[in-house]
Amino acid sequence: MKIPTGTALLLALAVPAIAQEPPAADIAAGEKMYASSCARCHGRTGRGMASFPPVEGKDVDYLVGRLEQYREGENVGPNSALMKPVAAKLSDEDITNLSAFIAANFQ
Amino acid sequence: MPSKLLTWQATTLAATAMAAILPAAALAQNQGPTLTHETVLSDLQDPWDMAFLPDGTMFFTEKCRGLSVLLPSGDVNALLGIGGSDGFSSTGEDLFCEGQAGMNGVAVDPDFDENRFVYVYSASNLTEPGGNRVLRLVVNDDLSEVSDRTDIVDDIPYKPVATDQPFGGPGAHNGGRIRFDPEGHLFVTTGDTHNAEVPQSPTLIGGKVLRIDRDGEPIEGNNAPDGFDPRIFTYGHRNVQGIAFRPDTGQPVVAEHGPWHSDEITALVAGGNGGWDPRPGEAGRGECPDGYCGYEPNQMDEMNPQERAEYMPMTDLNTYPDAMKPAWNNNGLSQGSVSAAFLSGEQWGEWDGRMVVGLMGIGFGGTPVGQRIDIVDLAEDGLSVNNVTEMALPMESGRFRSLVQGPDGNLYAAIDEGDIYRITPE
Repeated sequence: MKIPTGTALLLALAVPAIAQEPPAADIAAGEKMYASSCARCHGRTGRGMASFPPVEGKDVDYLVGRLEQYREGENVGPNSALMKPVAAKLSDEDITNLSAFIAANFQ
Repeated sequence: MPSKLLTWQATTLAATAMAAILPAAALAQNQGPTLTHETVLSDLQDPWDMAFLPDGTMFFTEKCRGLSVLLPSGDVNALLGIGGSDGFSSTGEDLFCEGQAGMNGVAVDPDFDENRFVYVYSASNLTEPGGNRVLRLVVNDDLSEVSDRTDIVDDIPYKPVATDQPFGGPGAHNGGRIRFDPEGHLFVTTGDTHNAEVPQSPTLIGGKVLRIDRDGEPIEGNNAPDGFDPRIFTYGHRNVQGIAFRPDTGQPVVAEHGPWHSDEITALVAGGNGGWDPRPGEAGRGECPDGYCGYEPNQMDEMNPQERAEYMPMTDLNTYPDAMKPAWNNNGLSQGSVSAAFLSGEQWGEWDGRMVVGLMGIGFGGTPVGQRIDIVDLAEDGLSVNNVTEMALPMESGRFRSLVQGPDGNLYAAIDEGDIYRITPE
């Protein structure tokens, strides 16, 4: 089958673009991780409790940024001592999944 | 479901020794009743405390909202809101919430039928730079409004600005429980506000347990040392939020949250020192971040709790040999013991007379989070425990902020997540 030149060009452009997309977030995995690692402090619905701040209403970029800061050992706010050891164990995929779950469910 | 037979024993006991000393009879002794639960209220905002009338009417506080009451009919009346809150029959515009501070404890006067008094512990900005107060309120006949606010304590310290500590935001270590003992005296627990000078101070009433009357006046026999504020019953505390009274003697017993180590249960004696002194330059310590050694050493990073305890003891018996010894230190761990009550009545079976302690759960430095309710069998002299078992919860666990036995004999538990549960022994 002969592919029209224009279509071939489009395909050639599209393939690299698809390859560069980050992996889709696994929201179900993020939900599971949130329940086991986050909910005891940030609350079952992300609204925060006691000294622990809310995570509701945050977008993915904000959440990914904060988690990466903590993972790198930065101090961000008075609860950094608690967040750094938690974040240190997270992979890029974990951060993607967690952030996607929180942003999608806690508005 | 039968109660879980988890027993927390002193860490010095080896597992093999534990197996040898826990025969069936000992396990049977720890056997509690089968429990069920109902959710009394849900979707609350940081419910902090409850207090009951004999007919089951339940006053409750939400830290950033205010005081409400649940009637036996199931209706809820919102009585006194903090500044800016909506839906309350009145608001205190000076009342505010920040961090751990807000509207905290609530208590009902033992003579409520005659005087209609309820009391709340709340942060207020009437005094710079903010403080905590105990408010006495009069509730009207149909429990729809409060009036005649009288601030019977107006000088409890509050932490106004952030410092370089874990949980170092404003409002930290704010105390806040208020309870009447069987003699009708009001106990008020306060926190050290991350201020190293406070716990051992004779005049600053943070880091203390106060014993006062319904007008805020000291009770004779508080027995604090010369020069101390006469309202002080005990001093040298970190942040007491749990207090309850032994059913047989009326002795107050507190549950206190430790600093990355050593949650403590302590039976109080009038004039006693809790032995908490986080000042720099004391007990071999040097300088500390922002002048507060309470989480040192190495306050932001993981470390063996035992090493921490040696450097910054929760109860410093070397510096203060006469300090009140804790009956229990949670095996040297800090998981956030924050609420306390005694179970009373035959419905509790072997647990009749036992203390229950709620733990919020703090997992730091390898410590298990540990959200739970412990059943504590205090020794008669209050200086040790016979055993500590974990309640097998009939519902999902949470941050157990408040525990109160209701007039129906059931245990009510408030969790920060927003629920108040009724736990019923079968």
